[in-house]
Amino acid sequence: MSGLASLRRLMWVGLTLLSHYRRHPAQTAFLIIGLVTGVGIWSAVQIINSHARASYAEADQVLGAQASHWVRASDGGGVDPDAYIQLRRAGFTQLYPVIETRVATDAGEPLWLIATDLLALPRSEGSIDASGAGWLAMIQPPYQTWYPPELAESLGVAPGDTLTLSDGRTLPPAVPQSQQQQGRRLFMDIGAALDVLDRDRFSYLAAAGLDADTARELEAALPSGLRLEPNRQRLDLNQLTESLHTNLTAMSLLSFAVGLFIVFNAVRYALLSRSPTFHTLRELGASGRQLSFAILLETGVWSLIGTGLGLAVGFGLSQVLLPPLAATLQSLYGAVVGADILLRPSTWLLAWGITLAGLVFALAMPLWQESRQSVRAARDLSDRWVRDRTARRRLAWVGLILALAAGAVYSQMTTVLVGFVVLGLALFAAAFCLPVVLGAVLGWTLRALPEKAWQLRWAFSDGGAQLPTLRIAMMALLLALTANLGVETLVGSFRTALTDWLDQRLAADLYLQRDSLTREELNLPADADWLAASHQRVGLDIRWRGRPTEVRGLEPEAPDSRALPLADSSNELSLWYVWDTDNPVILANEQVRHLAGVESGQTITLSTGLGDRSFEIVGFVHDYGNPYYQFYLPRGEVERLWPGRAEPQGLALWLSDRPDAEASAEAALLAAGAQAGDWIRQAQIKTVSLRIFDRTFAITAAMNGLTLGVAGLALLTALLAIHQQRLPDYAHWRSLGVRYREMGRVLTLPLAVIVLLTWLASMPLGALLSWLLIHDLNVLAFGWTMALDWDWAPAIRLGLLTAGVVAAALAVSLWRLHRQLPEALRRLGGQS
Amino acid sequence: MIRRFIRISLLILLAGAAIAESPYEVLRSTGEGYAEVMPERAINFPQDHQPHPDYRIEWWYLTANLTDDRGQPWGVHWTLFRQSLAPAGPVDDWSSRQVWMAHAALSTPEGHVYGERFARGGIGQAGVAIDDEERFDAWLDDWQLLGTGPGPIPGTLSFTIGDRTLTLELSADTPWVLQGQNGYSQKSDQGQASHYYSQPHIRTTGTLTAPNMTVNLSGKAWLDREWSSQPLAPDQPGWDWFSIHLDDGHALMVYQLRHDEGAPWLSGTWVTPDGNARPLTADEIELRVKERTEVNVGPEETRALPLTWTLAIPSLEQRWDIRAVQPNHWLNTAFPYWEGPIEVTGTTPGMGYLELTGY
Repeated sequence: MSGLASLRRLMWVGLTLLSHYRRHPAQTAFLIIGLVTGVGIWSAVQIINSHARASYAEADQVLGAQASHWVRASDGGGVDPDAYIQLRRAGFTQLYPVIETRVATDAGEPLWLIATDLLALPRSEGSIDASGAGWLAMIQPPYQTWYPPELAESLGVAPGDTLTLSDGRTLPPAVPQSQQQQGRRLFMDIGAALDVLDRDRFSYLAAAGLDADTARELEAALPSGLRLEPNRQRLDLNQLTESLHTNLTAMSLLSFAVGLFIVFNAVRYALLSRSPTFHTLRELGASGRQLSFAILLETGVWSLIGTGLGLAVGFGLSQVLLPPLAATLQSLYGAVVGADILLRPSTWLLAWGITLAGLVFALAMPLWQESRQSVRAARDLSDRWVRDRTARRRLAWVGLILALAAGAVYSQMTTVLVGFVVLGLALFAAAFCLPVVLGAVLGWTLRALPEKAWQLRWAFSDGGAQLPTLRIAMMALLLALTANLGVETLVGSFRTALTDWLDQRLAADLYLQRDSLTREELNLPADADWLAASHQRVGLDIRWRGRPTEVRGLEPEAPDSRALPLADSSNELSLWYVWDTDNPVILANEQVRHLAGVESGQTITLSTGLGDRSFEIVGFVHDYGNPYYQFYLPRGEVERLWPGRAEPQGLALWLSDRPDAEASAEAALLAAGAQAGDWIRQAQIKTVSLRIFDRTFAITAAMNGLTLGVAGLALLTALLAIHQQRLPDYAHWRSLGVRYREMGRVLTLPLAVIVLLTWLASMPLGALLSWLLIHDLNVLAFGWTMALDWDWAPAIRLGLLTAGVVAAALAVSLWRLHRQLPEALRRLGGQS
Repeated sequence: MIRRFIRISLLILLAGAAIAESPYEVLRSTGEGYAEVMPERAINFPQDHQPHPDYRIEWWYLTANLTDDRGQPWGVHWTLFRQSLAPAGPVDDWSSRQVWMAHAALSTPEGHVYGERFARGGIGQAGVAIDDEERFDAWLDDWQLLGTGPGPIPGTLSFTIGDRTLTLELSADTPWVLQGQNGYSQKSDQGQASHYYSQPHIRTTGTLTAPNMTVNLSGKAWLDREWSSQPLAPDQPGWDWFSIHLDDGHALMVYQLRHDEGAPWLSGTWVTPDGNARPLTADEIELRVKERTEVNVGPEETRALPLTWTLAIPSLEQRWDIRAVQPNHWLNTAFPYWEGPIEVTGTTPGMGYLELTGY
């Protein structure tokens, strides 16, 4: 055969195979749905992750201008504008001033604000041009506040609105417009910020692209009290957020897997109607190789369609998922993530790659097996049952092997990535074992039923006929239910732990937030009858083991220092409270223990202002939500070891139980120079903290909902498949005089049992998953420990939800059955 | 001169406040709310060396034709612009509505380097003032023109572009030249005008330092001071401006403001070696483009600019051929224009500077 003829023949075989999808639009639709949901969710997360990482890569920029170094005040008090002008006039034109601060709306919603002088930004960065029209009005009274449009919308701020802050100050009129690297921050002219925030200092000076020589010259030229620091934000952010992105990727891969189940399901469903085509093609002389090529061609076509549509959906989805994630990254890590998402070629290729790989398993392999079946392949039901039982057993064996592998890897689990491998293995092990369990339960029930209960026996026996088509859908459902339960339990446990922790940690009644308002500064009367106790914290940022680390100075005698939320402590804990310079001890947050691998009783070394100092760790404190290492020392010790570097970190005030204590406190604070809005009530901090927490997990909830939705789809496609395929059986039943109601019962009962069993199985598995997440993965990823807090409500909610999906799917199937049965009966008549 | 107004329009262009189709629009917009340029206003020294924030725009502008020890030609231009963004408002703090911009360019025997900077007023990063030692001080960051007394001349100009630092000592013996009618310089027949005075006879010496290189320079410089609130008429698209030092000690300033339709607005001043000025009327000046030259204005773009001219002042029996020393002196700044040294041959030869805008 000539090459051309062979090619033509191949095309012809391929087109014949593909024509199946034209004749069966429903199957085509399911295949597309499976591909699109799977690829869509996966690529959405992929897009978001790579977008966030790209944003970190730009983290050494401020509003589009590069910042290789910072100039900061050694005492943390900010940079005097005169010092800045002096440096500019000395020729350090790489410097530009920045005010970066957190403010709060009068509803307590935290907002990040950044301000700079656009005129002073390094010219080569072209920032003035980039900022486009409108900065003229921005740099002069009454000024403007530039809101990222998405943030303006969520705050309900319309153009021209002036937002009132918690301290009563008013921001300049709003303009929805965003700058490079603005993220979810408000942007303002620095003159406006000095004026509106009533400040007289910059947060820091940023320096664009200093070479080593200029950096040395600048360092030498800095007035005393200022210091030059290299900008390490990019590295830090990549390190800090790694775990979060791994989490997201794992969840998206789960969705992808569930999507593949739908594809697999649709393909299996299609196989039955396609096997005659294969046999006809073989009989017409198509070689096995040609069929294989045609199958590969089909796989290729589907992979392209799936990738294209999936990426389109994923792109749309990423737009929806990005804002909550960006908010999380900002509040947790201070990472700025822009709103402009780009679809990179690498994402295209990767999406196509995994789609192709997935389709080889879900589409090409079953098709190939079918094409190799000899013509004698039996078409009767009983043979299919037998084959299915064998397949179920085989699956269970694979499941057992996966479970063993999970156990083996678990003992070696040291990174988040390996943790997710264990999770994946465990989940799939359970899913693979499910069909054999379902088959066994149906079989046992059938055997246990008395002979008289013929209708029940019929129903359970029919369950055996449904199982081959349903088992894939049930595996997908189990995965989705388990993941949902596991993650819900994790989030619930975390929320409980966080609430308890906040209660313990935020014990004082009032918190003064403005750092300049120290107890010494305020000069509060020590014998004030409204004041029960106070606690002035100090702190500074250092680096320890290559990561940004916080050192906090506490007053050991303060009430909240006496009741620290300890996760673990040694017998030496009391030494921390009675400080002895010869025997220095230190407390650390849990992150130090779990992420840096330091145990209680071990000695760590910090570089202090007086040189390196060693401390014995005597306890670990819960510190949820903090991505940084933190060490606690008595305040006096911090001030001694880092002279002039410790900054005030807020003042906590405990009120006496006098009825007018709060009013007296506020009056005293105002008299001492504080302004309304400088202090915040305990309850308000808790509300805001929990709001941030809920927003942080909004993306988790969204992912969870999507996974369950995909599983619901899998179930629906499976049921429709079953009934389509068994239409001739039902026609037989009808012709034998079975009533619709009886048919409904026979079809519904086994399905209900199967779904119930799957749901029941998801509970221990969900508990196992949440245990793994809380006990291992969370600790590996963030260094936080908490107690598992099992709640039945999510399980029941998921059960009801599943019942609803099943009922809906069943209703659709039975309605279609009802409509198609007369036609099927006619065909039955024609055959006989 | 008028030409300098264009730089100010840069600010407005960047500010996005200009009417989109032409950055020159700011120069044509009415000066409503700002101080008005009036013929009867006398120029006073040294007070008028200082800023006039009640006028919309203003500049301190220096060009110099220099030679090195080997006789090779060099050129320098340095400008400091001030603009008021609003007719009223604070001048002296972060809410100031004064904005400053500076350009510095160095024409070397081999080429051309330049830089531009911006600063807000009121914060000390840029400005013109009398310093603690009673000296005239005009600066933006480390670019500075520092007088030895209350005026800019005698004084020192210093700036850095990249790794090259230039320092020029400036001195003059002749009085300031008041342009137009006692410093009132009319720009159109519709009333647009500016206050304008110059020092064309500045002797200068200085050094350029760069890594592994020091160049001694000497020659003649020209300083212009001008301020206005509405310098251009609505139908004037751009201008061609000449400042010339003749070898016999005379100096000549000529400009034409091109007109959308019809004849350009021509004006000039003839300055004797001892600093006496004689205004030139339009009908005394014959200015013609002789040749256009393709000039690189971007990485992939060239533009044909009039870099060769003939100029005659028949009433003074003078006639010259003028050509740019080097064609590639386009400043691709935020708002681009051509400015560079020119060589003058004819009745009395000389050197000078040419500025072309609106092309």
